[in-house]
Amino acid sequence: MRNIILIIISAFVFTACSSKEEINTNNTINQKQIELKVQTTSLEEEDEFDGEFDEEFTEEVKEVFDPLSGYNRVMTKFNDIVYINVLDPVARGYAYVVPKGARAGISNFTDNLMFPVRFSNNLLQLKFKNASEELGRFVVNTIFGLGGFVDTAKTELGWVKHDEDFGQTLGFYGVGEGFHVVLPLLGPSNLRDMVGLTADSYVSALSTTGSSDIKYKIPNNTLENVGIMAGQTINTTSLNLGLYQSLKKDAYDLYPFLRDLYNQRRNSLIKE
Amino acid sequence: MNKLFKIILIASFAITSMFALNKDEIKPVMTEKIDNVLNIIKNKEFSNEVKGEKIVKIIDDVFDYRRMALISLGKKAWVSADSEQKKRYLTAFETNLKNSYIDKLGLYTDQKVKVVGTESTFAKKSKKERIVLKTELVGASEVYKVNYLFYKSKKGWEIYDVNLDGTSVVTANKKQISGLLKQKSLEEVITEMENKTKK
Repeated sequence: MRNIILIIISAFVFTACSSKEEINTNNTINQKQIELKVQTTSLEEEDEFDGEFDEEFTEEVKEVFDPLSGYNRVMTKFNDIVYINVLDPVARGYAYVVPKGARAGISNFTDNLMFPVRFSNNLLQLKFKNASEELGRFVVNTIFGLGGFVDTAKTELGWVKHDEDFGQTLGFYGVGEGFHVVLPLLGPSNLRDMVGLTADSYVSALSTTGSSDIKYKIPNNTLENVGIMAGQTINTTSLNLGLYQSLKKDAYDLYPFLRDLYNQRRNSLIKE
Repeated sequence: MNKLFKIILIASFAITSMFALNKDEIKPVMTEKIDNVLNIIKNKEFSNEVKGEKIVKIIDDVFDYRRMALISLGKKAWVSADSEQKKRYLTAFETNLKNSYIDKLGLYTDQKVKVVGTESTFAKKSKKERIVLKTELVGASEVYKVNYLFYKSKKGWEIYDVNLDGTSVVTANKKQISGLLKQKSLEEVITEMENKTKK
């Protein structure tokens, strides 16, 4: 018995020592590796650029067509000031007063009302399964989710949201982005997505665009429309506090950084 | 008695020799690492800096920072750099990447991380295998997709890129650096990166 204990203890001591040593040597090895490899011959360097990653990351970065870059820079600065000095403090105050569960509920509620946009764009992209799931989600969440506050369809049935907008639909059919435009208050966009925004606001229940043709519009006038948009923006911001500031820290030059992130994200959404 | 000793010995070796990843280990090891990282983040006793240090230790051996740095800089600039510049660049890149990662961890509130699974793909031309570990960050109202991209290095499977909700970290870095290099010399760019590490 004593022997076993001794062995176990020695085994632990052994692992403890060796693992500790490993961590230590590891760190130094990592440091040395950087130095050593850098100092080795050019053979090694050629090996490093064997073209393995050329397909994924093109060597020559294409010049971005950006005729509005001057204006875009100014608008990025403007939006940044508004975000930091107005939107962020307001959203923080709002988050302090309204509990997180309620804010998530409001986010679900407005998401549910955006159903016509997702449904029509899924249909336009011939994604029939997603479109039917969206229809199912709208019915289930409106009836069994307290009018949309609770995402019952996701938690109970596993039907997830399929975000599609008209900008993505245009991209899906091969329409290029045109050029980058930073919109006041709304942030990064481009020619294609601006057309998309207008088209989507036509079918959206939360805007007044096309209210003479479509009867389910909620706001009665532009003022109410702006109010809803502001509320929605504050609510969304309150659920993502600090995200923008953290992203901003990664930037050497804010405008091109945000522009490239926006383009990357939109392209990946279109591909989905 | 002898048998027990052997088992303990083997077990102790197995624990210490877990270093480079095999293909089949990617999902279980990464799941464990992510769990460990989350436990550290949730621990209220540590300051953010201590958390950062501990987390970096957990993820260090699966990230190939050097590869990420090289892809981001591009061949042309790398070849033109002298060995001093290369060293400074690699150090600055790695530090900035880690700082940015730790900063993002500070945003964590109560999201759940779901490890969805791995997917193997092959690059079209080079026929090299890539493995994507798909995870999801499930928040109060949104789900963010976080994908870790692995390639097979000489050491084993290592991460060469992270994809955050449709944006690649390496591509974002590459675009920034190439943008800077159009206006400034390599020396100035490296100095700017070094200045960022001090912030």
